[in-house]
Amino acid sequence: MSPVRQVYELAKRDFLQRARSKAFLMAMVLTVGIVLIIGPLIALADGDEQPRVIALVAEQPVGSEQAIREQSAMLDLDVRFQRYPDLVAAEAALSRGEVAVVVNGATDLVLREPSLRLSAAITGGIATAQRQLIAAEMGLSEADVGALLFPLQFSERTIEPAETEEDEVTEVAALVGLMLLYISILMFGQFVMMGVMEEKQTRVVEVVLSRVKPTQILVGKVIGVGLLGLIQIVAMGGALIFTVSIADLAEIDLTGLGIKVLGLLILWYLLGYAFYSFMYGALGATISRQEDMQGVAMLPVLLILPGFFLGQMALLEPDLWFNQVASLIPLWSPMVMAVRSTTSNVPVWEVAVAIVLLAATTALLIKLGGRIYRGAILQSGRKTKLRAAWRSATD
Amino acid sequence: MLVFNDLHKRFGDVAALAGLSFAVHPGRILGFLGPNGAGKTTAMRCVFGLVNPDSGAVTWNGRIIDEKAKLVFGYMPEERGLYPKMKTGEQVAYFARLSGLSPDAATAASSHWLTDLGLADRAADKLEELSHGNQQRVQLACALVHDPVVAILDEPFAGLDPIGVETMAGVLRRLASRGTAIVFSSHQLDLVADVCQDVVIIDHGRSVLQGDVGELRHNSPTRFLEVEVNGVPWAQPVAGIDAVEANGRHRYLLSRNAEIGPILDQAAADGEVTRFAFEPPNLTDLFREAVRR
Repeated sequence: MSPVRQVYELAKRDFLQRARSKAFLMAMVLTVGIVLIIGPLIALADGDEQPRVIALVAEQPVGSEQAIREQSAMLDLDVRFQRYPDLVAAEAALSRGEVAVVVNGATDLVLREPSLRLSAAITGGIATAQRQLIAAEMGLSEADVGALLFPLQFSERTIEPAETEEDEVTEVAALVGLMLLYISILMFGQFVMMGVMEEKQTRVVEVVLSRVKPTQILVGKVIGVGLLGLIQIVAMGGALIFTVSIADLAEIDLTGLGIKVLGLLILWYLLGYAFYSFMYGALGATISRQEDMQGVAMLPVLLILPGFFLGQMALLEPDLWFNQVASLIPLWSPMVMAVRSTTSNVPVWEVAVAIVLLAATTALLIKLGGRIYRGAILQSGRKTKLRAAWRSATD
Repeated sequence: MLVFNDLHKRFGDVAALAGLSFAVHPGRILGFLGPNGAGKTTAMRCVFGLVNPDSGAVTWNGRIIDEKAKLVFGYMPEERGLYPKMKTGEQVAYFARLSGLSPDAATAASSHWLTDLGLADRAADKLEELSHGNQQRVQLACALVHDPVVAILDEPFAGLDPIGVETMAGVLRRLASRGTAIVFSSHQLDLVADVCQDVVIIDHGRSVLQGDVGELRHNSPTRFLEVEVNGVPWAQPVAGIDAVEANGRHRYLLSRNAEIGPILDQAAADGEVTRFAFEPPNLTDLFREAVRR
């Protein structure tokens, strides 16, 4: 039997064990389900938005309704008007929720609750109408009014290109990707650690080791659990892409951006997970009780955490030299390079260097982690020190 | 032939193995005996590379055991352990596949072994739902599901009820009759005497007695004499002969060529001799003698 088929069997068992667990399935269905329904809900809420009713009492300057309508449109508000005979009737309608605001005369506004946009649209609209009336009385042309209101024409230039909506959306997408990456690497890395620890705790590992090499067990576990993580990322990423395209949140191609971010996420998840999961696996072999897991799991968290923060820094300044360097360091490159590749045009050679460095370090870690695993997995006792594990393993 | 060749292994200051050598032959069952801490588990782990000896080696048919050879060996470790949440049938089939059986063959072998061990109706149950004894049977099934040519079983009978012992002994005999070389450790010496053809007794990491059980008993320089007069044990002092009291039995310790006529005469003088057994030492006697404890 080939070692590869044995690794396949080991990976399959680990994959199925986790995939069949009710807790995992529930969490997956729930999170993906929630993401999937958010988009259609937003679209539905957008489509069904009712126009705000403005109750008018007494006299407003001529042209007020038209001016309010124009101001509202600029503020993305849909309004319509309803005239009431007196303030009492209008306020009664307001308290019943039939109208959003009462405009009593030209200067008195009654709202159910503060609304900056609505207030601004109404006061701005009435003021515009009133200004036009006064200008007409004074015999001023529109050009005169313009000259009075805007006596100087300022010009403004920026040497940096202005941040477009696309830039902002890309940053948000990169941040979401970064968080998903960070959570996935930690979560599935810890699954590897838990699996190793459980096999030691239940002592089944001795039976397995009588058939396969220690490194095969570790590799099988990393592949099986990692595949599960990949499925979760694709499901989650797919659901997010679906939901943002349905919700139609921005006037840019969100689906295209989503697919780009998902692609980068998959690439850097695979590389980052491989690196950290072997570390988790080796550490898992040094313990045999659930209670000891938290203490041992701290090390990878401490190592990966700076990467998470550096990733957020790279979000703002992807091409700063500091972030460029951080994106090449294997501990952090999965996160920092993933962010930089999303928000900036990173040269291919930089990505290639980051990948090669990370792959080489992972290969080294497999060797070191494999030795620690080998040395620790059959040790009895609650905890095995790394040095003792290292010494007891022989090549 | 499986050969343990001059194995040495130290754990810190403790010498777990100190020149252990013996051989296991195809089709024979070898009882691997020794006091606690004598080095039995360490020696068994050396077969699978779970412990690397400091010097010496275990060989199969003259060759160092590699990964390929390990796949035709079966192992039941002292510290039992399987996947508690995995279904019994799936679990046995999984280990069969890890040993190289095709998926179909593994499923068939799993079903065959569970039936053989009286667990056919528990195949769909999770391991943790089985009793301790039944879990032990599953452990044996996992060790033997791929029809190994060598079976290394560390304390396979520990914790089994008499019916379980009978079942397991039957399985081992059938396996040996098909040519498998079997090594098992046990502290139940009566059982070892009943099941094994060969025995190796180790102490402080080295073999102190080994060979065919029958021959070892026959070739022993000592004999035990047990006498009953009028249906009750006869325990009169006999001039020049030592007596041994153990487990409520009174026995005289003689050399193999001792003259027993005078003792019979002395007993007959006290009444009707209803039992007069002049026997070689049993395995327990050999064990005590070998480890001198």
